[in-house]
Amino acid sequence: MARLTDLPPAAAKRYAELECPQFKTTPWVKGAPLAERRVAIVSSAGLVVRGEKPFRGRDADYRVIPSETRPEQLMFSHISINLDRSGFQEDWNVVFPLDRLRELAAEGVIGSVAATHYSFMGATDPVQMEGYARVIASRLKGDGVDAVLLSPV
Amino acid sequence: MSALGHYLEEEGIPTVAISLIRAQTENTKPPRALWVPFELGRPLGPPSDPAFQKRVILAALRLLERERGPVIIEDFPDDDPRERPDPSWRAPLAKVDSSDGSTTALAAELDSEIARLESAYQRAVAERGRTIVGLSGLSIGKAGRYIADWLRGQTLPSPSAEMSAPLTLRFAVDDLKACYIEVALAGSGRPSSKQIGDWLWNDTALGAAIFALRKEHLTSEDERLKAIAGLFLVPGVRVPPID
Repeated sequence: MARLTDLPPAAAKRYAELECPQFKTTPWVKGAPLAERRVAIVSSAGLVVRGEKPFRGRDADYRVIPSETRPEQLMFSHISINLDRSGFQEDWNVVFPLDRLRELAAEGVIGSVAATHYSFMGATDPVQMEGYARVIASRLKGDGVDAVLLSPV
Repeated sequence: MSALGHYLEEEGIPTVAISLIRAQTENTKPPRALWVPFELGRPLGPPSDPAFQKRVILAALRLLERERGPVIIEDFPDDDPRERPDPSWRAPLAKVDSSDGSTTALAAELDSEIARLESAYQRAVAERGRTIVGLSGLSIGKAGRYIADWLRGQTLPSPSAEMSAPLTLRFAVDDLKACYIEVALAGSGRPSSKQIGDWLWNDTALGAAIFALRKEHLTSEDERLKAIAGLFLVPGVRVPPID
């Protein structure tokens, strides 16, 4: 369905031609085997813990999602209405696969699950997010995270 | 997502992105990405299918162990089985036939429909133990009445000091859509998102009300309201071609 050929022509054209940031460098960081990694989720689904401020407009900042967050606490405030929400409503792992990460940690496939995860609002120009992303990097390092799963929506 | 991967990796943190739009990922060139052939909104694929989701997440995380890169963009091979319709699923309400097509009649139908749906929604929340309704801060009943009053042409203030009236309208619509979807998901059927959307947009008073609000305010002199009507009420795939 997210094949461009499956989308309405106008939407396919918009997505294909969306201006993306161009980078001069290609960073690449190696790490330990997966079984020793501490993994965090960074989502761009506009996720917000109930009671926190929902994303509005094209907010570039982020929200914090503690690992002890329960499914009933997580809200979805992405600005776009052109994406499915019913999958998330049935099962939060469709967007925020925290249960799957916990299972992988219990099975020893990954080392551990981070204490904190993060969400942005993906319709925002990513260039505006850069400063916040670098702040998150510092927080992730403080948590010992050495693997990030970037989950879009 | 790919740009975030770039920034985090520059700061020394290994990343892998799930990609839903391959063309964008190819343009941004993140360190590592797994493209998945799933619909927008479902990066891990089918809901309530832990085994499938685990295959997706592992396919992504295993890219972190690759010795050679950047850039890695791999494709996940399987489609989402939940994109197929479930023939056993039944819509929770029968199709609404608007009495005379006026917005006043539609507002009354919406009030009535929400009154009928509210107990089913409460049962759905109890069954699932969660809801994503709540952006507007209004109860389902109040959100319905707020939208019905807009339909009746009343100029409404925002019930919240923190939100403008147009933003409250948008969030009230979001909340009611979420409420209807949660009712549609209750029970044993496993509908595709298209089945739910077909019901919500074609067969309910809520769908008709949202279409009517969009049409009414597309020409509003209030730029914020006009933008919300045009961009944030009806998904592009459901907008009538004559618009």
